Amino acid sequence: MDYFLQNFPQQLVNGLELGSLYALIALGYTLIYGILEMLNFAHGDVYMVGAFLAAGVAGLLVHNEVAVIPAGLAVALMMLVAVGGAGLLGVGIERIAYRPLRNANRLAPLITAIGVSLFLESAVQVWVSPAPVLVPSNALVPQTVLHVASVVTPLTGLALFVAAVALMVALDAFVFRTRFGGAMRATAQDREAATFMGIDVDRVILVTFFVASALAGMGGVLFGLRYASVDFFMGYLLGIKAFTAAVIGGIGNIRGAMIGGLLLGVLESLVGGFISSQFQDTFVFLALITVLLIRPQGLFGQPLTDRA
Amino acid sequence: MVQPRILVLAAIASVGLAACGGGSTPGTAANKPDKVQIAAEGPFTGDQASIGAGALRAIQLAVKDFNKAGGVNGTQVQLLIWDDQHTAQTAQTLQAKGISDPTVLGIVGPMNSGVVLGSIQGLQEASPPLPLVSESASNVKVTDQGNSVAHRVNARDDAQGPADGKFMIDQGAKKVYVMDAKSDYSTGLADQTEKYLKDHNIPTMRDQAKAGQKDFATTIQKIKSFGADWVYFADEGPEAAPFVSQMKAQGLTIGQNIQFLGTDGEEDSSIITASQGSYVGAYATNITADPAGVSGSAAAAYVAAYKAEYGADSIGQAGPFYGSAYEAAQVLLQAIKNSPVKNGKISRADVLSHLGSDSFNTIFGSVKFDSKGDVTGGGIYVYQAKGTQMVVVKQVSG
Repeated sequence: MDYFLQNFPQQLVNGLELGSLYALIALGYTLIYGILEMLNFAHGDVYMVGAFLAAGVAGLLVHNEVAVIPAGLAVALMMLVAVGGAGLLGVGIERIAYRPLRNANRLAPLITAIGVSLFLESAVQVWVSPAPVLVPSNALVPQTVLHVASVVTPLTGLALFVAAVALMVALDAFVFRTRFGGAMRATAQDREAATFMGIDVDRVILVTFFVASALAGMGGVLFGLRYASVDFFMGYLLGIKAFTAAVIGGIGNIRGAMIGGLLLGVLESLVGGFISSQFQDTFVFLALITVLLIRPQGLFGQPLTDRA
Repeated sequence: MVQPRILVLAAIASVGLAACGGGSTPGTAANKPDKVQIAAEGPFTGDQASIGAGALRAIQLAVKDFNKAGGVNGTQVQLLIWDDQHTAQTAQTLQAKGISDPTVLGIVGPMNSGVVLGSIQGLQEASPPLPLVSESASNVKVTDQGNSVAHRVNARDDAQGPADGKFMIDQGAKKVYVMDAKSDYSTGLADQTEKYLKDHNIPTMRDQAKAGQKDFATTIQKIKSFGADWVYFADEGPEAAPFVSQMKAQGLTIGQNIQFLGTDGEEDSSIITASQGSYVGAYATNITADPAGVSGSAAAAYVAAYKAEYGADSIGQAGPFYGSAYEAAQVLLQAIKNSPVKNGKISRADVLSHLGSDSFNTIFGSVKFDSKGDVTGGGIYVYQAKGTQMVVVKQVSG
C-alpha cells in the first residue's frame, strides 16, 4: 500500500500527459467519423507526417545544438509548417482517396484508408529515414524539470498537457458555438438534408479533414518537443490507441473522445506502474471490449450523430 | 500511345532475353556456372527497418564488390531481396521460391532469431538443403537444434548474457533493472543476463518495453522506486534514445546516479545525437563488431566504401549489423566460389559442405564455423558512449 501511495501521483501525472496526446489524435477520428461515418485509418500517419515536418523545420533551424533564430520563433515556425502541412495532407487524402468513394459501400473507403496509411509509412521510411529522427528540443524549449511534492515532470510534458487541453476546449467551442460548427453538426446528422438547407457539404467535409489533420499535426509537434524523437512507425500504435480512445468515449462524440483519451492514458500508466508493463496493451484493449459489451455506443451516451 | 510503349517493352525484353541466352551457352571456361543467385533476407521494411535497411545495403555492396572482382569464375551473382518483415510466415513464402530453384545457393540472413526458428525446417528439408548465414540471429536455438543449414557470424545469447552480467558486476552493480523489448532475441538475451545476475546474488527487477515505445515515464518511476544503480536494456536500439533522454529529464543521469548497459543496436553513435547527449557514459555490448570501431585496414576500407556508395551520413542510418551483414555475404560468396562447377551448375550440397570446412577472408579477418554453425572466436564487444562516438572499451571473447 505504501508503494502504491508513493508512486500513484507520479503515475497519474504520467498517464494524463500520455492521455492528452491520445485525446488530441482521438478527436480526429471522431470528427471525421461524425461527419462521414468512415474510419480514417490514415489519421495516425498524418500525425506522423506532422511530426516529421516539425522535425525537418527544427533540423533546418538548429545548427550544432543552437537555434539560428530565436527559439520561440523557431517553435512557432515548426507549428505553422506542421499544422498547415498536416492539414493540407488531410485535405489531399480526402480529395484523392476518399471523395471518389463517398457513395461506394462502406468497406471501400476503409480499405483505401489502410492503403493510404501503408503508403505514408513506407514513403517516409524510404524517402526520409528508416531510423528515428531527432527533434533538437534542447535548443528549442527550456529543459526545466518541475518538482511538485514527489511528482517530477519536465516542463515540456506539462506544456503537452496544457496545449492539448486548450486545443480541445477551442475545438469544442468551434463545433458547438460557431456557425460553421453548426453546419458541421448538421452535415453529421443528415448530409442530404444539410444540402437542402444550403450547406456546402463538400466544403464542410474539407474543413473537417483540415481541422482533424491539423490537430494531429499539432500533436506531432508537441510530441517531438516532449520526446525529441520521431520515426516513421510512430503513428501506427498511437493511431490504434487513439481510435480505441475514440470508441471508448463514443465515436462521433467530441467530448467523449477527449475523456476517452485521458482515461486510456491513465489506465495504461497505472497498469504499467502497478501491474506489469507486459499487460499494458492487454488492459487497454480489454477496456475497449468491456465498454463495447456494456455500452456499445461508448461511455458518453448519445453520439453527435444518432445514425451510428 | 499504348502501342509504342509495348514495342519499347518488347524491345527491352528481347535484349534482356538475348543477354540471358548469351549467358546460358557454355562459357569459354569449363568451370563457369550458368547462373548463381543468393538471397538477402531480413526485415527491410516495416517497424524493424532501422536494423534491416542498413544490412541490406551492406549485402548489396558485398555482391557488387564480389561481382566487380570477377564473380564466380566470370558469372555475375544475382541478389534476390526477401523482405520477411520479421515474420516467419512471410519468410516461408519467400524461401519457397529459393527452395525450388537450384540456382539459389544460399541466404544471407534471416536476421531475426524468431524468423530463423520459424522457417528453418523447410530450408533443412529442401533437396538439397538451402544453407543460410545469418548476420544477427543470436538465440541459442538457432544453431543448437542440429540443423546443418544454420550458420551465423555473430556471437550467441549464452555468450552475451553472462558477459553482460559479469561486466555489470565487475563495474560494481548492486541492483539491476533488467528490460527487454518483447522479441525472441531480446527476451532470450535478457533472460540469460538476469539468470547470471541472480546466480551471483544481484537483485533484479524485470520489465518490458514495446517496439517503438517513446514514453517511458511509467518505467522510469519504477526504476526509481526499485532503487536500481544499473539499467540493462536488451534491445535492437530504436527505443534507447527516448528512454535515456527521459531518464535524464526525470532526474536519472547516466554516469552519475545511474549506469546503463545496452545491447546490439545500442552501440550506435546516432543514439548519442538522438538523445541530445543524455546517452554519454552509457555502455553497450554487441555480438558483432562495428567496422567503424575496430582496428584493421579492411574494416576501415569497408566503412569508406559504404560511405562512398550511400553518402557520408549513411553510416548513421546503417544500424548495428551493417558490418556483420557484409561479413556474412562475403562468407557465403566465398563458399560458393570454392564449390566445384559441374556442367555449368553448382550444387547447394557442395556450398553447404564448403561452409562447414573452409576458412573465409572477411573485413574482420579470417572466419571459420564450428560443427554447429557458430562462428569460432566470435567476440562480445563492449562499447561506451564518449563525446559523440561509441568507443570499444573491452573485448570479451565468446
